[in-house]
Order: sequence, then C-alpha cells, then structure tokens
Amino acid sequence: MYMLHRFERPLWFLGSVLVALGFIGIWQIVASSGLVSNVFLPGPDRTFRALLAGLESGVLTGKFFSTVQHMFYGWFIASLIGISLGAIIGTSRMAQVYVAPSLELLRPLPASALVPVAIAFLGLSTSMVLFIIGFGALWPMLLSTIHGFTSVEPRLNEVSRILRLTKMQYIFKIALPNAMPDILAGMRLSLTVALILAVVGEMLSGQDGLGQWILASGRMFRSPDLFAGVILLGALGYMSATLLTWFEQWVLRWRNEG
Amino acid sequence: MPSVDQASEAMTAKGARGHGEVIISFENLSLSFGSKLILDNINLDVARGEFLCVIGPSGCGKTTMLRLLAGLLTPSAGQILYQGLPVSGPRPDVAVLFQDYVKALLPWRTVFGNVSLALEAAQVPRKLRRDKIMAHLELVGLADHAEKYPTQLSGGMQQRLQIARCLAQDPEVLLMDEPFGALDAMTRQALQDEMQELASVSGCTIFFVTHDLEEAVYLGDRVIGLLPHPGRVGREFEVNISRPRDQLTTPEKPEFLQLRHELYSFIKLVEHG
Amino acid sequence: MDLKQTIVDRPSHINWRALVLPILVILGLEIGGHVLPLETEFWPVPSQIATAGWAALLNGSLLNATLETLTAATLGLLLGGSVGLAGGITLGLFPVANKLLTFSIEAVRPIPPTAIIPVALLVLGAGMTMEVSIVAFSAAWPILIFTRSAIQSVEPRLIEVSKVLCLGFFSRVWKIVLPAALPRIFVALRLAVAIALVVCVTVEVTANPIGLGYGMRVAQQALRPDLMFAYLVWIGVVGWSLNLLLTSLQKLLVWRQADEGR
Repeated sequence: MYMLHRFERPLWFLGSVLVALGFIGIWQIVASSGLVSNVFLPGPDRTFRALLAGLESGVLTGKFFSTVQHMFYGWFIASLIGISLGAIIGTSRMAQVYVAPSLELLRPLPASALVPVAIAFLGLSTSMVLFIIGFGALWPMLLSTIHGFTSVEPRLNEVSRILRLTKMQYIFKIALPNAMPDILAGMRLSLTVALILAVVGEMLSGQDGLGQWILASGRMFRSPDLFAGVILLGALGYMSATLLTWFEQWVLRWRNEG
Repeated sequence: MPSVDQASEAMTAKGARGHGEVIISFENLSLSFGSKLILDNINLDVARGEFLCVIGPSGCGKTTMLRLLAGLLTPSAGQILYQGLPVSGPRPDVAVLFQDYVKALLPWRTVFGNVSLALEAAQVPRKLRRDKIMAHLELVGLADHAEKYPTQLSGGMQQRLQIARCLAQDPEVLLMDEPFGALDAMTRQALQDEMQELASVSGCTIFFVTHDLEEAVYLGDRVIGLLPHPGRVGREFEVNISRPRDQLTTPEKPEFLQLRHELYSFIKLVEHG
Repeated sequence: MDLKQTIVDRPSHINWRALVLPILVILGLEIGGHVLPLETEFWPVPSQIATAGWAALLNGSLLNATLETLTAATLGLLLGGSVGLAGGITLGLFPVANKLLTFSIEAVRPIPPTAIIPVALLVLGAGMTMEVSIVAFSAAWPILIFTRSAIQSVEPRLIEVSKVLCLGFFSRVWKIVLPAALPRIFVALRLAVAIALVVCVTVEVTANPIGLGYGMRVAQQALRPDLMFAYLVWIGVVGWSLNLLLTSLQKLLVWRQADEGR
C-alpha cells in the first residue's frame, strides 16, 4: 500500500501521457485512412516532420523568436504602464471617483476592435503590432493593480497610521506587496492576451512571426507547416505561463510556506 | 525574557510610582457618529507607568476610547491630553496592539521584517536595525523564528510578534485592544504573565481594553468599568494586590476574589438594567 | 477605499461625478478638432463620428453587422458552452477521467484561439461556420475549467447528504451537485460571453468578411475614419451592455439563492 501511494502521482501522470499518445494515434489513423482530406488534416507524422524541418532550417525558430519578442515587448510595456497607473489610481481618492468608472466603461471594448484604428494611424508596422498587444494587455494589469491597491486590509491601514508611515512608505511597504497577488494574476491574464494579439497583429501586418507563418501556410494549403506553427504557438503559451508560475511562486513565497 | 529577580525589582519600583504624574487625561470627552452618541462626557486621568484596564459590556465604547486615544478617531467634543498636549493624530511613542493579529501583521514579511517595519517608519538607519530587532524578538521569545512568515506561527506567537513590533516603537504608552481575546486559555495565561513582566521592565503606561473580568483584575493597577448606551465611566476599582502576581496563587487571594465579585456584580447590574 | 465606483450603481441612479471625465474628453476632442489645424478626414471629431454612426444605424448596415456578430457569438457560445459544460461535469464527477485527460488538456489549452483562425479558414472557408467554430473553441475552455473546479469543490458534506438520502446518480447530480456549483459556473459563463464577443470581432477584423469587425475594416480601408470610430464606439456599447446584462442576471441568480436559503 505504501509503495502504491508513493508512486500514485507519477503513475497517473504516465497514464495521462499514454492517453495523449492514444489521441495522437487516433489522429494518425484518421489522417492515414483518408477519411479526411490530407489537404485539411495532415497526420502527426507529416506535422512533426514539418516541425523538425522548420526548426532545423531555422525558419520556424526565427518566427518563434519574433513572436516571443512582439509578445514580450508589448506585455512589458503594458505591465509598466498598467502597474504604475493602477498604483496612482489605487491610492488616490480623486482618481477613484473621477477616473476609475471611465476605465470600467472601456474595459469591455475588445482590444482587437482597435486593430483597424491602429492600422489607420500606424500602418502595417511593428509599432502597430506592439500597440495592439500593449493595449489589450494593459487592461487586466491596470484593473487588477487597482483592485490590489484598494483592497488593503483596513487593519493594516490603521497600523500604517499608528506607525505614521509616509505616503511613499505606505505605497512600497504596504500597498504594493498587498497588491502583488492581484498584479501577478493580472500579469498572467495579460500574457495570454499578449500571445493572442501577437498572432492577430502578425497576421494582419505581415510582420515576421508565427502568426504570419500560419496564415501564409494556410493560404498556400501547406497544412503540415500550418499545424507545426499552431503546435509551436501552443508550446509558447505553455512555456510563458510556466515561467510566470515560477516567478509567481518565488515572489509570493510567503504564501506557499507554512 | 528578563529574569524574575529583575522583574520583581522593577515592579516594586513601579508600585511606588503608580500614582505619580498624569500622562493622559480625558477631558469632557464625547463622540457621536451622526446623531448617535457613542461616548458621553468621559473624564479620566491615567498616571505615568500605570496599568489601567477598561472593562464593560459590548457597546460601551471601550474600543472607541482606545481608538480616540490612539489618534485614529477625532472627538466630537472635549479632548484628550497627552503629556499636556491635545491628541491630534497617531504619535510615534504611542503603540497599539490589536486583537486580530492575523490582520495586523504583514503576511509577506518575515517575523524579522514585521518588527523592522516599526523601525523603518521611525527612519532608523538600516545598520542599527538588526540588533534592535533581534533584541525585541529575544524579549518575546521569537528570536529562533526570525526568518519564518507569520502564517507559519501559532496564534500566540503571532500575537507575541505584534507585541515585539509595538515594543520596537519604543513606546511611552501601549494601547491594547482585547489583545488575548482570540487565544486559547493556556496561551492567554502565558502571555498575561509575559505582559506583566514587559510592562514593568519597560515602564510603559498601559491602557488595556478587555471583556475578561479576571484578566482585568489580574493585570491591572486600576480597573475602569464603563456603562453602555452611551458609553460613560461607571465605576473605578483600585486593585491593591501585591506584585508580582502569578496564575496559581493570585486568583486565590481574598482581595482578588473580592474584586472579581464586585466587578461581576457591576457588569450584571449593567446588563440587567 | 472599498467603495466601488461605477457609472450606474443602481438602476435610475447615475453617478454624475463618474461622467465628468468622459464628457470632458468628448468636448475636448470636439473643440480641439475645430480649433487645431488637423485634417478632419484623418482625425474625425465626435460630432462627425456621431453623424456617421447615426447614418449607419438608419441604413441598417450597423444593425445588420451587429446581428451577424451576435449570431456568431451566440451560436459559438452555445456550442462551446455545452461541450465545455459536459466535459467539465464529467471531469468533475469522475476523478479517474480527469487524471487521465490532464496531459491532453494541458497540451491543447495553451493554444491561442487566434492560432485556430488559419486552420478554420483552411478547413471551413470564410463565413459564419468558421467564426462559430473558433468562438466555440475559445469559450469551451473557461467553461470546462471553471465547471470542473466548481464541481470538485462542492461541499463534501452535501455529497454525503445525498448518499445518506440514497439518491441515485442522476438525481444526485441534478439536485445536489449542479445547483451547488451553479454560481461559479455562472461566473464562467460571464467570462465566456466576454470572450465570445472579443473572439468574434477579432476573427472578423482578421479574416472573416462579416459582422462588426469587418465593418470596421471596410470603413478603415475606405478611408472613412468617422465611420470606423463609430463602429468602435458601437462595439464598446455592445460589449458594455452585454456585461451589464450578465452582471444583473448574476445578481438575480445569487439573490434567488440567498432568498431560497431563508
């Protein structure tokens, strides 16, 4: 019984990997049987060959890193603006009364609706792509930062008053650490949004990247290349989320211990 | 922990000093929220070094009195004088110990960091902080837990940590709002005794709000009984029980039993009109 | 600090202070557009945008596009929502299935929905079906994840109660598990509605010649910035109204539960 308990988690994991392999097997069978046209559905064999070829020749690697760059820069700019603006609004009564409701008004606006506007003003350029990513990624950051800053435990506000913390001390020693869990949740959401919009931006602008690659591959009926690009985008989404989880665990280590 | 000898010496000294110079005085103090009168014309003097306990049924405004004294609230009429000057806001030498230690500590800072906050607020240079913090942690018996986070501590230890942060303010006056109310009986008794010692060693004036009559008699030099709706001073009880007091013999002394009886009757009388 | 400021905090009550900034911005843009030497073909002022929007509303093109977008969003939501709900309930009720599918789900979930656009274009071609399928793919995930965790976290005592009452499997699910998980599933639904609208507009802007997103693209390419901004404002209004609608529905639901609890 003890041994069984100890190996339970790895065994389940192994089981779930086997199930996933089973799905890939089914995919292969469906593709090889010709039930679905090969033009639409390449088998895993052709997809992985395309993926390997693309990685070896460096074409896909290059596209991958272009997308990483777009995504990261846009996200980073959004995080900087979102956190600082959120901190200002979150600590100012005036801003909460006069500015915050307008943000609520803008929030439901889909970021992609700004694409035509961005194209009209910035053209099909990298700045357009970064603007779209930045705009979309800004909202989750901004709103969660405001929430984090305004949800300080009232008792801690009293402690700050008793200790006569200055406004700056209050922001950096109380409000910001208190907002960290919210800020990180916002960062996580905006990272997802950043990837989604990086793909959109690249598709529309034709700027180098996986988004442009999959759209071009699809138009030329090179479905293995298309699927390879989609797989890489999934991998990128997974890796960025994992990295952020590590970062989160490190920043919020006070939560995990005990 | 300081040795018992030191502590008892200090306590004798304190006994002598008990009713000396007035450090805090409430002068015709009233507070209302809107049309509701919370505190009505409170007049009360607290002597330097005194351990003053405030009891009363819920709704008598004992916590409100403490918050006014801390400068967290402003009176509607009258004033509180602290060392002769009106209280207008929180002061560096007045510390507050809250009952809900879970909410009053910074969960993202270690034990060390939580004590450090008080020194950072007082602009103590970084170099000097470490020794001071460790000394305070030593005093409350948390020196071995300096790198832990509050959530890793038991309730009693968390409250000790809050005490350490208060002491790090190097306060003249310590305001305590039902500080041991949320703890289990054993821990509460241990902390009561530690508080007794800390009070005598530091020479702080203590304003101690509680709803536990025995705790008030056990710790206080004087107990103020408040009446509710609106809150006002009902009766004062002098506690003439020699120090040091201890959990085993003190509650068996006739003076203790007598006072406990009087306080109990007072509260019963209040509650049943 | 805990007061949450919104423009409409109660029906029939408008928070005027919240309107100061939007009104100032609109007035500023209007006056700035007339005073500054800008080309209004490029920088339309609010009144021009309103005129263009009004015209599009009257000739039916705006409403038609809205109808297309909302149809795609609704169909996609229904499809993806039911798949997500069924999957979430199954995975929540059967831990074995959940553990065995963990890897497959974690492998597919991180794919950004927009990456599906070329695949859907290739397989289904442009049109309503393609848009619906992408919306379904996007909306299914949050519903699945939320439903699964909502069911997993149903108070164990309630499950014990249902066992003690000897309820059969289906009545246990229908009478105990689902009602208990409903508030959290509703939160997921609200999220999914927002996602559906965003995805629709994204697909239309990017690749699909229907709906509001495409209307915006056409306006932009036809060098009609006034109409383009009118579409933008309109999309915002649609998103905002949907959000308001769902928030009120959610309040109603929570209120009913609280009421029944008495």
